[in-house]
Formats: sequence, C-alpha cells, structure tokens
Amino acid sequence: MEMKRNTTKLLWLLMFFSDIVSFSYEESMRERAIELMQDARLIDGHNDLALRLRILYQNMLSRVNLRELNMTHTNLAKLQAGYVGAQFWSVYVLCSAQNKDAVRLTLEQIDVVKRMCNSYEELELVTTSQGISDSIRIACLIGIEGGHSIDSSLATLRMYYDLGVRYMTLTHSCNTPWSESSSKGIHNFYPSVTGLTAFGQEVVKEMNRLGMLIDLSHTSYFTAKAALSISKAPVIFSHSSAFSICNHSRNVPDDILQQLENSLLVPICLNWIIYSYHFDHIKKIAGSESIGIGGDYDGVEGFPEGLEDVSKYPTLIEELLRRGWTETELKGVLRENFLRVFREVENQINLILVMGLGCYPKGSCHDQIINKP
Amino acid sequence: MEMKRNTTKLLWLLMFFSDIVSFSYEESMRERAIELMQDARLIDGHNDLALRLRILYQNMLSRVNLRELNMTHTNLAKLQAGYVGAQFWSVYVLCSAQNKDAVRLTLEQIDVVKRMCNSYEELELVTTSQGISDSIRIACLIGIEGGHSIDSSLATLRMYYDLGVRYMTLTHSCNTPWSESSSKGIHNFYPSVTGLTAFGQEVVKEMNRLGMLIDLSHTSYFTAKAALSISKAPVIFSHSSAFSICNHSRNVPDDILQQLVSHIGLVPICLNWIIYSYHFDHIKKIAGSESIGIGGDYDGVEGFPEGLEDVSKYPTLIEELLRRGWTETELKGVLRENFLRVFREVENKPRWQELDKALWNFFSRW
Repeated sequence: MEMKRNTTKLLWLLMFFSDIVSFSYEESMRERAIELMQDARLIDGHNDLALRLRILYQNMLSRVNLRELNMTHTNLAKLQAGYVGAQFWSVYVLCSAQNKDAVRLTLEQIDVVKRMCNSYEELELVTTSQGISDSIRIACLIGIEGGHSIDSSLATLRMYYDLGVRYMTLTHSCNTPWSESSSKGIHNFYPSVTGLTAFGQEVVKEMNRLGMLIDLSHTSYFTAKAALSISKAPVIFSHSSAFSICNHSRNVPDDILQQLENSLLVPICLNWIIYSYHFDHIKKIAGSESIGIGGDYDGVEGFPEGLEDVSKYPTLIEELLRRGWTETELKGVLRENFLRVFREVENQINLILVMGLGCYPKGSCHDQIINKP
Repeated sequence: MEMKRNTTKLLWLLMFFSDIVSFSYEESMRERAIELMQDARLIDGHNDLALRLRILYQNMLSRVNLRELNMTHTNLAKLQAGYVGAQFWSVYVLCSAQNKDAVRLTLEQIDVVKRMCNSYEELELVTTSQGISDSIRIACLIGIEGGHSIDSSLATLRMYYDLGVRYMTLTHSCNTPWSESSSKGIHNFYPSVTGLTAFGQEVVKEMNRLGMLIDLSHTSYFTAKAALSISKAPVIFSHSSAFSICNHSRNVPDDILQQLVSHIGLVPICLNWIIYSYHFDHIKKIAGSESIGIGGDYDGVEGFPEGLEDVSKYPTLIEELLRRGWTETELKGVLRENFLRVFREVENKPRWQELDKALWNFFSRW
C-alpha cells in the first residue's frame, strides 16, 4: 500500500516537475524572443494605417489619439509592445482613382503620414538605412502602393522621392498603362498589358537611378520576372508569401524565390494560419537572408489567432525559435536583411535582389496543409 | 575774319567738350548702375522659362543648352549679364488643366526647375532668404502661379512647400473654387466666386503657417483686399504694375498699394510697359520705395519695351531710375533688400504664431 502511495506521489512529482520544465522551456522561448527583439527591433515592410485614417477620420489627426486608437490593428502602444523599430507606412490610394485624382490623393496620404510622424514623439520620419539604424524611436518611412500613383510620369516619381517615398509597389490590384498586376477581373484598366512595357522598364531604371526600392508585391509573374531582369539593384516583395505553400497569384513562385538567393529580402505577410510554413519554405528555397517581415496590418482582415495586431510579433519570433531558427537568422529576419538591401539600393550597387512574399486572401489553401498527417 | 574763325573753332571746341561731358555723364550713369548691381545683384520675382521649356522641348533638358538658348528671353548668359542674383521660376500650368491633371503637371514643372538648377553650375536651388544671401551663383527658387495647382487640397499645398515652393499666386487667369481672378471671360470656371471663400481664407492662413509667400498678381481687387485683411504676414505682387498709371485689372490700385505700406509689402513691377519708370515713380509716391521689387515676367509675355527686350537688360532699368534721381539705397532696396526683408518676415512664422497666442491669452482673460 505504502509503495503504491509512494509511486503515486513520485508520479505526481514527476508530472509536476515536467510541467515546470516545459513551463520553463516555454517561458524561456518567450523571453528569448523578447530579448532578441529588444536588441534587434523589427522593421515592418507594409502597414495600411494611413488608409484607415483617411476612411475613418478623413485624415483629421486632431480627431484621433494614435497611442490608444482601438479601431485598427495598429496604434503606437501596440507597435511598441510588438518591438517595432521601423515601419513603412503605405500611402495607397484606390485603384479606381487611376486616371482621375490619384496623384492628388497620393500627396494627401503622404501628407497624413508626415503629419502623423511629426505629431508624436514616439515616431520619427526617416528616409535612409542610416536613419533607421540610428533611430531610438519608431522610424517612419513611406511606401507607395501601386504605379497608378505616378500617372505615367517619371517627374512625378522623382517628386515623390523628394518627398521621402522610398519604395513603390509597381502595381496594386489594377494594371497600369505600363505594368501588369497579379489581380485579374477586379478592375478593367489596360487589360492587354503584359509584364512591363517599354515605359515600365524606364520606370524600373529610374527607380534604380534614384535609389528607390522596387516592390513587386501585387505584380504579376511576368512583371516580376521583367523587373528582376532589368533592375540593377535589389528588389523587395513588401508583403507577399510563398506560392508553393499556397497557390495564389499574389504569392511568389519558387523560381522567383530562387533568384532572390543573392541577399534577398522577403517581408512576410502574416495573414496566414501557418505562416511559419512560409518562413520555412522560403528559407529552404532562398535562404533566411532573403526574409523580412511585412505585416499588412490594417490592409486586410482575418489575421491568424495569436497575430491579431501589431503587438503580437513576439509570438511569431517565438514560434520560429521553437522551430529551430537561430538568433542570427532571426536578427536577419527582424532587421538586418532589410537594412542590407536598403543600403545596396541607396548605393545603387549592381546586385540583384529579390524579395517577396505573397499575401493571398484567406481560403481553403491552408486546410490541406493543416490536415496533412 | 580770324576772329570769326576763332569763334567757330571755340564753338566747335565747346560743342565737342559738352559732348564729352554728356558722354561722360551717360557713361557714368551706366557705370554707376553696373557697380550697384554688382554689389546688390537683382532678385527677380517671376520668370516663365519653365513653361517655354515644356512647350519647346517637352521638358527634355538634354535637348537644350541653357547657357546659349536663343529662342527665349532668358538664358544663363543673359541672366549673368543682367546681374540677376536670384530668380523665382514659375511652375505655371495652364488654367485649362484645372480639375483635370493640374497637380501632376505642376509636379512636372517643379521637376524641370529642379533638374535645371541641378544641371548647371551657374545655378543653385535654394529655399530660404539666407540661401539667397549666401549664394554666389544664381539662386533658384520656385513659385506656383495659380491656385488651380493645389486642386483645393491643403495637403497638396503642404507637399508643394516640402518640395521647395516658396510662393503661390492665388489665381492665374481663372477663378478657382475658392478665389477670384482679375481676368474675366477667358475661362468659365466658378463664375460666381467673389474674392476669397471660407476655404480661400484657410488657404491664406495655411500659407502663413507654412511660411509661404502669398502672391496677389492676377487676383481680383476683392481677392487682394481679402488676402490683405486675413494675412498675418507680408504679401507680394510678383509681377504687377500700377493701376492708376495704366488702367487694367491686372494692375494694383492705389488703395491697395497704400496697404502695402503698413504690411511692408512688396510690389515687383512687371516690366511689360513702355513707361515702366512712371510706374516705379508712382508706386514710390504712394507706397514708398521700400515696397518695390522687380518681377520681369520674361518668357511669360511678349512685347517688352525697347531697351528691355530680355533678362540681360536690367541695368538699363536701373540706369533710368538713377537718372530720375533714385538713390543707391533706394535702388538696393528695389534690387534685393526689400524682397529679402519681406521673405524673412514670412519665414519667421513662429513670431506670428507667438503673437497670435499672446493676443489670444490676453483677450481670453476679458
């Protein structure tokens, strides 16, 4: 009887002990993630808060407290909790404004980002890789989403650069007169355009000359191939994922990922339940040096549980640690890979860099993977 | 007989001598003008070369040598010969682009001015009064001509300021939804707008806040009166003349000229008049010489008076004013000092904002 009771006690002790061990292990993963991120704060490639500010507040910043705003995925407190050290703010304007007032709308979005970054001491507008490295606040940068913003005018592209814009996504969900989008059937602009036209090639060359990052998220396969072949500087996919994990035109096929091998950057759209599969796959095909993070928060709905808003990035890093990613690899993902690419583009170094991950709409794609044995 | 010949010789000698004297006098006026201008190079408030570059070369600067270009009033050699030390380049876009692609066209004109100023070592883009004072080249600045360029968007105005634009003419020859032009019947935009609307007043206030000069050339009488009453900073007329000398709606009536005295405003004078010097004298009488500057409107109009055909001829203007008794101090004011003074006041916007706050604090106690 006594032996049975002792055995039971021993079993309870062992269970208790293993609980502590696994509990400590879990706690230690979380701590490791946070320590890592405190040391290497995240650079996020894409966030659409500025569009939400337009829709909800008509860009009237006096109506909103960006520290506590709770109608969006993003507010300043959450960014800090997410260890975000630098954020590219998208100045997207609707595709339906193409050939209408897209230019003026883009200027208005650039204006709201600038006013936002100048109004809060937590934020600081920068325009260089050095500016990101040096900033002890949340460094703010500006990205244009969609070539329709330049109204087929290289002068307009140059003036956006002068205003501080440091990347342009060549298309959003509509073709421009000079570039093809991966989205079909949403808009009816320029349906016969394939890849990049001659003028589209000039746009890529001008972006190289200026030192503006070329972003290939949302572009068609042919546009991406064309841009990669012409661009003398690294390119990015600011918010895309892997096509072979989920078969959708917004995502990046393996052959393009392979071209990214030379110091590529792949900001990863987190709009997937199994985002970590995307990370692992792209690491396999293109190397972890090709990867970065582009959350697309406030640009889409339906984020996975655990990654609901911009404060949850540590959860992502924790998961990758658990999957065996090293701290060096993760520092790369968090910021070093992006900084390397940005520096090369600034210096117009002759190196091809492809980055990208595709964010594709929620669908049944991942069910297949979830249900895999 | 001999006495007659001696008298004749004497007369010839006297005539010859007086020729020399008047010749020396003329030469000396010219020399004085040039010495003055070497010391105080001219700041010109308005030039439309950028529009000519668009029309003639589609903004393709590789097609043109700006030093020797001879199809325009303006080239770099002529600017230097005219002792131009700073030039506001107009980024005017056609009124007919209003509500269409005026914004993109304005960005393209800003772009060509920037490229031009970065491509020639004689030129240097600046954005401040200090930049003008410090520059040993021809300092380049940018002015928007016509509120239609902002597409009724204060954000767009702010972005133009960020791009380096330092004045905006509230209208060109068309009304905007918020301001009335002096031109009638050329365009048919917003015919019921009078002076400045409520939004037009916001535009003026925002320009004050930014530190952008408000230019009232081309605006209607009521627009000018409204802007003068709202603006807390000095305003300019970048290229206008005196209404009472020449009765045309583009010109500035005496009552507005008088307001310029207290606002320490600036009236650069359009030189497209045969009797420009009468304008100078008149405005000096009404508003004081401290209110005067120069805005040639070269390459923006045709029909310049003989002697002032292009931008190299400014010394002729200064010479004429010297001849009319203007002092060197007054002329240095006209050439640059008056403008710099106004520009500095507009730049020092915090002073206005502090004054505003102080007044508010004072009155809010009552």
